[in-house]
Amino acid sequence: MNESQSSLRGRTASPADDADRAVLALVADGQLESLQELYDRYKTMAYSIAVRITSDASLAEDVVQDAFLGVWRNAGRYVEGRGSVKTWVLSIVHHRAVDAVRRRRPTTELPEREDVPPPALQAPDIWHDVAAGLDREEIAAAMGTLSPVQREAIELAYWGGLTQQEISERTGTPLGTVKSRVRLGLLSLRRALVGDEDGLSDLSDLAGDGT
Amino acid sequence: MTEPRMTHEQARDLAAAYVLGALERSEEAAVRDHLATCVEPHPEFEAFGGVVAALDLVDLELVEPPASLGARIMAAAAADLAAHPRTSAAPVAPPAGAPAPAPAAAPTPFPSAAERTARAERRRTGAFDWALRIAAIVAIVVSGAYVLNVQGQLDRARAFDQAVAAVVQAGQQPGATTVVLAQQKDQHGSGIAAVASDGSVTLAMRDLLATSGTQTYTAWVIVGSNAPVNVGDFAVDASGARAFTTKAVPTPAGAIVAVTLEANPGNPAPKGPIVSAGQVPSPPPAASS
Repeated sequence: MNESQSSLRGRTASPADDADRAVLALVADGQLESLQELYDRYKTMAYSIAVRITSDASLAEDVVQDAFLGVWRNAGRYVEGRGSVKTWVLSIVHHRAVDAVRRRRPTTELPEREDVPPPALQAPDIWHDVAAGLDREEIAAAMGTLSPVQREAIELAYWGGLTQQEISERTGTPLGTVKSRVRLGLLSLRRALVGDEDGLSDLSDLAGDGT
Repeated sequence: MTEPRMTHEQARDLAAAYVLGALERSEEAAVRDHLATCVEPHPEFEAFGGVVAALDLVDLELVEPPASLGARIMAAAAADLAAHPRTSAAPVAPPAGAPAPAPAAAPTPFPSAAERTARAERRRTGAFDWALRIAAIVAIVVSGAYVLNVQGQLDRARAFDQAVAAVVQAGQQPGATTVVLAQQKDQHGSGIAAVASDGSVTLAMRDLLATSGTQTYTAWVIVGSNAPVNVGDFAVDASGARAFTTKAVPTPAGAIVAVTLEANPGNPAPKGPIVSAGQVPSPPPAASS
């Protein structure tokens, strides 16, 4: 445990994280070869996420290019202790992919083109390494603790790029119910994955009303 | 839509949707603004944020991206670096009004030959080879000769990215060399080019003025004191960017590749001003290994 690094809230960095941060520092320094290294490391995950969200191989390529160019330009803004480099990179891919599909939907507020990767999803994920150690079956089992409507709401949000309002419209469910489903679903996932010991009880009131 | 300033409770309420990316971007920005200034703890963002990483691991069918995507990204990054040199990169004075010097002595921020060889073995596609070439270009054009005005013009930059990708493709072929085309005094337009072993030149130009009517840009190859040879005409749209592959004529090391702006296509000799030009260097060491 790294008690000295109190800002990391006890999070222990894995060797992979350390290596990633070293590579990212070189990217920030303008080393093309380090960008290539980072890309090679995460291209499959990145492209898979983009394909899943956009359902369009060619758009997914643009998204991944856009995202890695964002990483290239903003590597210096990565904040250590706010999630791993991997999470940061993949969250930028996710964000850009959602922007891309929202741009195709005339009903939504059009996102402005951002040159700076937003820190969405950059909340410190203290248990990232725990999660990384889990296998797909364990995570699938955790997903199994969700009710079908919770799972649907989370998937529409995360993979469909829909806003809560759009999920409400699409599923014919009141907005408040959608919000509850999303919150309860994430709480349930967290409980199944990391247990209840680190302050989760503080969040119980977030479950909200009903459903 | 502009939101009123967000309260602590409102931000808390939106935490789950925020980490999932399920807010309108304006709401998201309001949450971010709140988090940046809020003195109260927001453990819910941390708690939910981590869960999201697990969603990437479940039910995600892994798909390999096409090999060309990596090349595209690296080309775009190289072009971006040329446009916005990092502070640590030492700027090089632009060659005013003269063709770019051969990049033989240019320092490159790249690993040793041994490291490159090791990598080349791992990566049979040769993606690294072109990256080295681009880097050699970047090293000598980090300043005014190659100012890419990309801020707020991402679409234009993208058009140029595509053009650079074509150069990268051509530059990967055996025997190919790369040329920097420097903008000439009082002109608009610069670019890079790959000279194939058959002498054809694939150009990626940007910042050119759009052509109108019969106006055309003409590419020329000049060998020694010989007369310039017209190797092709091309028009340019409002993007100012253009990829173009010329006719194949002998284009040895030392030859000048130039682009002029002409009143009409098909001129046997240049009449218009030289917009951009560069000299074909000796093949870089990376090409022979």
